[in-house]
Amino acid sequence: MSSEMNISEMLAEQVNRLLGATVNRDLRVKAENGMLDSSLWAEIENLGLTRAMCSESDGGADLRWAECEPVMRLSGAHAAPVPIGETLLASWILSSAGIKVPAGVIALATTRFAMDGQGKISGRDPGVSWLNQSGHVVLIATDSQGHDHVCLLQTSSLPAPAGLATIDRQPCATLECDGISTVQKAPAPASTGELGVLPYVATLRSIQMAGALSQILSLTIEYANTRVQFGRPIGKFQAIQHLVASLAGKAAAAQVAGLYAARQIDAGNAEDGAAIAKSLVSRYATEACAITHQVFGAIGVTDEHSLHFYTRRLWQWRAEAGSDHWWSGRLGKQVLSQPGSHLWEFVTKAQPATTLH
Amino acid sequence: MNPPFSFSPLQLPDALEPLRQEVRSFLADASSQWSGWKIGHSWTGFDRDFSLEVGRRGWIGMTWPAAFGGHERTGLERYVMVEEMLAAGAPLGAHWFGDRQSGPLILRLGTEKQRQHFLPLIARGEASFCIGLSEPDSGSDLASLRSRATRVDGGWRLSGRKVWTTNAHLCDFMIGLFRTGGPAEAEKHKGLSQFLIDMRSSGLEVRPILDLTGEGHFNEVTFDGVFVPDDMLVGTEGEGWAQASAELAFERSQPDRYMSSFPLIPLAIDAIRDNAQADRLAERCIGGALSELVILREMSLSILGQLEDGHSPAKEAALVKDLGNTYEQNIPELVRELLDSAPRIVPDNKLSELEGFLVQTVPTFSLRGGTREILRGIIAKGLGLR
Repeated sequence: MSSEMNISEMLAEQVNRLLGATVNRDLRVKAENGMLDSSLWAEIENLGLTRAMCSESDGGADLRWAECEPVMRLSGAHAAPVPIGETLLASWILSSAGIKVPAGVIALATTRFAMDGQGKISGRDPGVSWLNQSGHVVLIATDSQGHDHVCLLQTSSLPAPAGLATIDRQPCATLECDGISTVQKAPAPASTGELGVLPYVATLRSIQMAGALSQILSLTIEYANTRVQFGRPIGKFQAIQHLVASLAGKAAAAQVAGLYAARQIDAGNAEDGAAIAKSLVSRYATEACAITHQVFGAIGVTDEHSLHFYTRRLWQWRAEAGSDHWWSGRLGKQVLSQPGSHLWEFVTKAQPATTLH
Repeated sequence: MNPPFSFSPLQLPDALEPLRQEVRSFLADASSQWSGWKIGHSWTGFDRDFSLEVGRRGWIGMTWPAAFGGHERTGLERYVMVEEMLAAGAPLGAHWFGDRQSGPLILRLGTEKQRQHFLPLIARGEASFCIGLSEPDSGSDLASLRSRATRVDGGWRLSGRKVWTTNAHLCDFMIGLFRTGGPAEAEKHKGLSQFLIDMRSSGLEVRPILDLTGEGHFNEVTFDGVFVPDDMLVGTEGEGWAQASAELAFERSQPDRYMSSFPLIPLAIDAIRDNAQADRLAERCIGGALSELVILREMSLSILGQLEDGHSPAKEAALVKDLGNTYEQNIPELVRELLDSAPRIVPDNKLSELEGFLVQTVPTFSLRGGTREILRGIIAKGLGLR
């Protein structure tokens, strides 16, 4: 095992401890009212979490995606009301493009923007998470020659839009640019293909969903073992046991899929990995939410129970960065463009080409 | 916050690629004459000539010692060979049970004489095995089985009935589980033993049971005082339950538990393309089916890795079988949704035959090798539901 893996495990352990000790209902409600908890955010930055994938010259740990997967998964498993994933990803994109990573929260746009001859940015992303709470935003803009650039913008240079109502009620706003100057820009790395940063955000959301699913499985097991009806814990009933087993299958597949997409990014095949993971995890998240609420009776709908927050996160994430339907359709279009005999070859070549360590 | 299951990834090394290509090109030739109906049978399809050829190529008993006719290759190599065979719907039935179940059992627990005699026969594709577990009154509740072995001079006499014995009418040997101790009511899973039974023994009768496809490869096997010599007991007298359970746990996460319907998908893709039906519905359905297949394969490979490392991930294997069976059961319905073919089986039309066969076969996928309900019970228990 390499020393990077030890850093990865250490970091995951620290995230788990920090979020376990701080995230509660009040903090989640605070975020839903548009406020970032600055003391929690300061601790996250102090741990170096958001720079884990940046190069060492950017103060990062240079972790690969598969090594950072536990951190992303834990941010989902705690339904952390802070933009760890967004800033981690935005910082990685900046660092990969050779742009110095600023301090503070960094938001990330997933639509493609345009860059004019003076390097000014125009375009629109209908929903950017944590935009109004961020000091900076990262986006991909295409110049008149068709070249992509990674651009860093200061949010103070942007119009301040009203927050959007979302399913998870995490802060989110529309990003409108009409000839905005960048703080810095650099040619986009080759890994930024036709879909820009979308496959990376889709992978992040898949991994976070896997974390949330694993957590609702644990909550469901605990509830089934303690909730007594008809004189015994409901987990004694076969009907409940079978629901929980089915939920476990969804959670397990989601975890495998999230890590799979991360490994695919490390192997330079971000799009296939994201398509496979996001289409599967989003679909399984839908089924898993239905199952878990069935076991919980109405207890899980109240905001006194954390399942309430996990459910809305899952419903948000399944649709963000391309839904299950969108990614399935894209993957299916690719498959249907070739004779059926190519399918099996696609499957056997769908393993990441390089090993983790 | 640690998940209650373990699925660390297993990467198939590039070094396995030549073997994959070798199996693939062999199958490209061999499969040209297979009908859709034949492809549908896959690992339950009995074709002795095909098995002999597979044996000649060294693809049976791949991981066994050379001293017993094996080829001393790795579990990963075997996995690659198996998944290529299943992707093509190859008729593996004449050697499948011997290669996957009976051979490994004999290797693990058999006597030296049993190993010397049976393993080379299996590895050459010459000896076919069936598995005698279920009985008319003992399906999921296998511990209630009543068929009995009674000690006689020089061996045992078997009496009772086994059912759902795939290909019993074509097989050379059965490994059967019989009661050697006290009655079922008192002893349950204790007092059971496994025997190697020659299917030509006198007193043994095989009667076909027709299934939904109209074929009789399921069978009822009646034992009327069948004599089995002492040296055909497998392993330890009274330990048959533990021995048979270990076999079942191993088979649960293999590719045959999620690939049974796979060969239908490429044929459906070609039909969709030919009919200009590649619309948004088709794209979404096919894409969704592909993503599930890729992840099931990753899960199955992960379990292979855990088994190779000496772990026994029983809960994880049950999870993969449950997900995999549901997946392979959904495929014919997905194809029906996309192509909406007439409910007719058109001879010489591969797609039509394969779809017709699978539609009539998928109910058994979540029954064989442990029902969905039994599996979910194992999973729930493994997760700590008390």
